[in-house]
Amino acid sequence: MINYKRFSLENGLRVLVHEDKSTPLIAMNLLYNVGSRDEDPAMTGLAHLFEHLMFGGSMNVPDYDTPLQLVGGENNAFTNNDITNYYLTVPSENIETGFWLESDRMLELDFSQKNLDTQRNVVIEEFNQRYLNQPYGDALLKLRPLAYKVHPYRWPTIGMDMAHIRNTNLEQVKGFFFSHYAPNNAILSLTGNIGYELALKLTQKWFGPIEKRAVQSRNLPAEPEQTEDRILTIERDVPSTALYKAWHIGPRNRKDFYTLDLVTDLLAGGESGRLYTKLVREKKLFSEINAYLTSDIDPGLIIVQGKLMKGVDIQNADESVNEVISGLLSKNGIKDEMEKVKNKFESTTVFSNTSILNKAANLSFFELLGDPGLINNEVEAYRNVSYDMVIEAIKRYFVPSNCNTLNYISTREEK
Amino acid sequence: MMNNLQRIQPPVFPVEKVSIPEAKSFGLNNGVPVYLIEAGTEDIMRLEFVFRAGQIKEYKPLLASTCNMMLTEGSQNYSPEELNRLLDYYGIFLNLSIEKDCSGIILFFLNKHIEKVLELSREILFRPVFPEAELNSLMKKRLRWYMVNREKVQNLAVDQFFESLFGKIHPYGYQIREQDFENMTPSLLSDFHSKYYTPENMAVIISGKIHYKTTEFLNSYLGNIGSRENDDEDPVRLLKSEKLKKVHINKPGTVQTAIRIGSATINKRHSDYPGLKILDSILGGYFGSRLMKNIREEKGYTYGISSSISSLDLTGYKIISAEVGQKNCQKAIDEIYREIKILQDVAVKKEEMAVVRNYMSGEMVRMFDGPFALAESFRSAWEFGLDSSYYYRLAEKIKTIDPDEIIELARTYYNINDLYEITVGSE
Repeated sequence: MINYKRFSLENGLRVLVHEDKSTPLIAMNLLYNVGSRDEDPAMTGLAHLFEHLMFGGSMNVPDYDTPLQLVGGENNAFTNNDITNYYLTVPSENIETGFWLESDRMLELDFSQKNLDTQRNVVIEEFNQRYLNQPYGDALLKLRPLAYKVHPYRWPTIGMDMAHIRNTNLEQVKGFFFSHYAPNNAILSLTGNIGYELALKLTQKWFGPIEKRAVQSRNLPAEPEQTEDRILTIERDVPSTALYKAWHIGPRNRKDFYTLDLVTDLLAGGESGRLYTKLVREKKLFSEINAYLTSDIDPGLIIVQGKLMKGVDIQNADESVNEVISGLLSKNGIKDEMEKVKNKFESTTVFSNTSILNKAANLSFFELLGDPGLINNEVEAYRNVSYDMVIEAIKRYFVPSNCNTLNYISTREEK
Repeated sequence: MMNNLQRIQPPVFPVEKVSIPEAKSFGLNNGVPVYLIEAGTEDIMRLEFVFRAGQIKEYKPLLASTCNMMLTEGSQNYSPEELNRLLDYYGIFLNLSIEKDCSGIILFFLNKHIEKVLELSREILFRPVFPEAELNSLMKKRLRWYMVNREKVQNLAVDQFFESLFGKIHPYGYQIREQDFENMTPSLLSDFHSKYYTPENMAVIISGKIHYKTTEFLNSYLGNIGSRENDDEDPVRLLKSEKLKKVHINKPGTVQTAIRIGSATINKRHSDYPGLKILDSILGGYFGSRLMKNIREEKGYTYGISSSISSLDLTGYKIISAEVGQKNCQKAIDEIYREIKILQDVAVKKEEMAVVRNYMSGEMVRMFDGPFALAESFRSAWEFGLDSSYYYRLAEKIKTIDPDEIIELARTYYNINDLYEITVGSE
């Protein structure tokens, strides 16, 4: 049981505090409710580029990192489709420096041309390193626009075209800041060696004076229902052919999220998952295979991806994946497997919540979803999934007309 | 209200002295050393079995890692499917661990399953059967993974780096070739296993909220494991650097070049090591390091650049790593050497010393925060016959090292003519 307290400031900042005296550290997590889904389609990648700029100094702090290092702290951040999340850990006696730094960059960034120029290059190198210079690195860049035709999830967080990054100017960056970075669009979590009183006092002191801002309202185009299966075949100079399949699911807050999470665990939760057992171990069609949910807030995807063994026909591999999925509709042995993945989920949750950073990130994210209590209730929600619910979800989502397939063909194998 | 608040850095408090809970040690009935580290608030444990059975012991490439990976592929009492199913059923996380010197397994579990964990551990560690069909299929899979890995410039660079530093004959250095995936047999594995996965070669490191019956259970499941008589000598191979200091591997079609620069150096047992660790931090060991500030934050040549130093049983090494766009590759390399030169010639200023001292002190707090971090820190000293006094020496050095000593260390250990420079990318 993770005990937490919650309060909010007049300027709209929401705050969650969880005290854990067993650690000498405090974790601070500041979530901004802005991600790549909030970008202009003509200027994608801005949310993530912005995350980089957030380290380049703010109104009263020329450089974010050095003062934090000076107090023994460490930090990082990530951006995804939905959120931009900043986090740090620091020995508890120096937590106030964390407040000073985070509040100052919420107040106003130092929008410097030099910083923008450098970070544009860094992001382009990041794109090259992660997506271009890796075998299969571009697969998800191809899969997204196959699955999404309208919704902003069709482009990746790093941006759909590096020209967008190259062309970003300072005015756009400023505009982005003032329409998304605001106390009333952020959630602060503090976990570890900090009590409620101190958290309240320091939050009021440092974040209290920041004015509420007019946050750009979110009005995203809904993805129309897919009506027929989509297949894209591309050829690449890679050692083995790979298969990617994606089915649309509902939003994160829909009740069947945990059912689908459980389905992916039945399929690929560890080496005893069905896909591994049947297709890697028994049939030897794949060298590796995985299944997961994208866990997006708006309607997301369930993705199965695997690399084929030498000489395996991709049609055959694809059909075998479908067979494993429909195999879940047969009751045989399922009860034990359901119990197995539920135990594993519980264990995973307990282990994840031993880290103050995880706890802080989870509290912020669950607050954004509307219920921080999920940090304690997820295991129960997952345990409550019945086999009937599994069957219903499989029949609802795993249908060909809802499926997107990317055949990533190795040109080397054909020779 | 806004005008009243002075937005300047709040007082900086020195990071409290690091406190390290000592491990309790005792021996099982068969003499296996056990180390218990009590920590944490949840009823969970981390259990590590470590054997002196790393790559250094293998007389054929891939033998040590294959033996380790085959441990969960079937035992006297369980099929591979059954083993994996049981591990998942009890919510146990099992990590295989294979390194240059040691190998073993690490398990994470809820305390209530401790008996099951020990029963399965005994099967996995001491009763594996190495079935031929599973072995053949593992080698085929590994070959596929290898082919994918060899597409990545960073892997090609690291493999070449170790070969250049430690030679083509020694297991620290040799690179894996396609043909190494052939001719692996169950009998090779069981020979290796019976020779090195033995009580004489192992230790058990346990951390968490330790179950009150841990000692009793350990003895009943593992205390009577014996070992076979074995007079075979370990293979002796030459550890010798290659002559050629600069190696470029052409990998057409890549958009970035992987750079690895470094050389063999002292390891943790040497009294200069704590100082070298601090020097390494200043150069490239954290986000505020000189390499990061100059090459990423100032010039934008790379997404990330870092340096690190690592210890091996017979030696140690330092390595600087980055992936850089082709057109900036030479510029980045020049800057790396320039930064090393500056460390040899110019005293580090007080302000920077304060930042690195405090950052590293904070890092030490993180290294001993919670049962998992504690066990890892314990293990990485224990492996070299060291204990918490090593960390206290490091903590002391962080507080007391002066700029002259840094210059001295940079001159002694970063002789530019000794450094190897590996680049992999398209020409």
